Amino acid sequence: MSSPAQETTSAMNAAPGSVTLNGVTIDDTFAEAFPMKATRVLITAHNETWARNAAVSMTGFATSVIACGCEAGIERMLGADETPDGRPGASVLLFSMSGKELAKQLERRVGQCVLTCPTTAVYAGLDEGEAIALGRNLRFFGDGWQISKMIDGKRYWRVPVMDGEFVAEETTALVKAVGGGNLLLLARDTDAALAGAEAAVEAMRAVRGAIMPFPGGVVRSGSKVGSKYASLMASTNDAFCPALTPLARRSELDDYTRCVMEIVIDGLTEADVSAAMRAGIAAIVARGAAAGVTRISAGNYGGKLGPFHFHLHKLLGGEGAA
Amino acid sequence: MSATRGWCLRLKAQPDFRVDLGGVLPARLAAMTADEVARVEVRHGNERLALGELFDIAALDGVAGESAPELRLDGDLSRFDAIGQDLDGGVLHIAGAVGDRLGLSMRGGEIRVQGSAGQLVGGEMTGGLIEVTGDVGDFAAGALPGSMDGMRGGTLIVRGKAGARCGDRMRRGTVVLHGDAGDFLAARMVAGTIAVAGRVGAHCGYGMRRGTLVFAGPLPAVPSTFVATHQDIVVFWTLLRRSLAYHGGPFAALPVRAPRRLVGDLAADGKGEWLLPG
Repeated sequence: MSSPAQETTSAMNAAPGSVTLNGVTIDDTFAEAFPMKATRVLITAHNETWARNAAVSMTGFATSVIACGCEAGIERMLGADETPDGRPGASVLLFSMSGKELAKQLERRVGQCVLTCPTTAVYAGLDEGEAIALGRNLRFFGDGWQISKMIDGKRYWRVPVMDGEFVAEETTALVKAVGGGNLLLLARDTDAALAGAEAAVEAMRAVRGAIMPFPGGVVRSGSKVGSKYASLMASTNDAFCPALTPLARRSELDDYTRCVMEIVIDGLTEADVSAAMRAGIAAIVARGAAAGVTRISAGNYGGKLGPFHFHLHKLLGGEGAA
Repeated sequence: MSATRGWCLRLKAQPDFRVDLGGVLPARLAAMTADEVARVEVRHGNERLALGELFDIAALDGVAGESAPELRLDGDLSRFDAIGQDLDGGVLHIAGAVGDRLGLSMRGGEIRVQGSAGQLVGGEMTGGLIEVTGDVGDFAAGALPGSMDGMRGGTLIVRGKAGARCGDRMRRGTVVLHGDAGDFLAARMVAGTIAVAGRVGAHCGYGMRRGTLVFAGPLPAVPSTFVATHQDIVVFWTLLRRSLAYHGGPFAALPVRAPRRLVGDLAADGKGEWLLPG
């Protein structure tokens, strides 16, 4: 990747201070993120199929804390040599706005989606942090037949179920995390936007400690804070809606931008979010403007929403969040 | 304050009576000067004796604070009881045999004995590690008379044989027994894990309520109050097998496939389990 200074440009739709790499304009703006609470759990099963089934089910309806209670995703699939019990597995990250809500969501989702899934077991995926219940309360499903075992300082619960026994570690760890990192991909049409977003998400999924919680990692209904309707806390991001380019009080789009996709990133640390955003930008830039994504921007609220500001140009320079 | 990380006490001669070394702990002595260590009194029969009369005292190499406080005891200490009793940190090395109540009620730290030990090794311990390269006497990891619970946490490793009633009323923790076990192994066991590589005596698991017994060596005679279950326990077995493999010997070669599982003692609710690999 060239340095921003080498390719500063004045493309038609470029805002002042923007830079262009391989034809893709990168706005001089920042993604604004906020503090969250997070945990990681490891799900294992008899084979990868059933580990994935449990993980997909557990992370379902977990795109946004606005209405889902938590944001969750599969961080990555795990090989048999990476799990506590030597079986294939999945690493799952969950994020919520409070530790209490996170604990509630974790217990419900593990109870309904992992405990129920054939052959699974579940373990803590973090060692450091405040302990929250994992199998501690699910054990009561055993109706008195559950067995506690301490192995190497960790407590496990063995709950008799119809395929044998469900093994769950007593607790996992809760840590402070970062939610709401984002990239806006501005493209000439739907095909180009989807292809670019898919490529970016694929690159971002290689980053550990981060998830993109929306369907396929991509959200088309980016939102702004507030609404003309008092009962709504968020509404459509009119500045980036092509349908409103000539109508909205303030549009960020030009006539050539006809589709915008957003990628939202939650990470265990600022560095994880930075790394994921950097990977996404690099993937789009590598494809070049000829592939259809002509501009990368980010969503912020003037710095009033959250303390974490991921400046796109600083990410290009490898400096991470400011 | 002492400038050393600990002391080495070398036995001068066998005492006339049994000596109670309770309270002679690494952290306590590491904070003392050599003269202060020599003046520490211990019970000797009905009298009290200074450590300086029983042991030659030398400082260990190293500086205080660089590592955990350490105490080394050198000699045949089979007449010395309560070594490491109530230990809650630091390292205790003993080169030679020790008496009864080694590590009784200890809460943390390490005790490593190059030799054999008497009765009640690790009795009612709640944490820490005890390793004995030789044999241990009766009631290892057991309970004191009148007490409801034996071992309540930590790890006891015995490279040799154990006497009778090993794990009596044990409630939590792990016992790894490389040699044979005497009668009444895991009797009245409430919970915890005992892995044994040698032969076991009569009445194994008598009155066992919960807990796990792993037989890594000869298979025991199965009493009529234990019955087989047939569910898939490969997940739990893998976790346990990997943990036991760390102790080496026959435990390093436990088979990958899940073992045969028996539950009992049915006369005491039947929630204890025997795992029979092979």
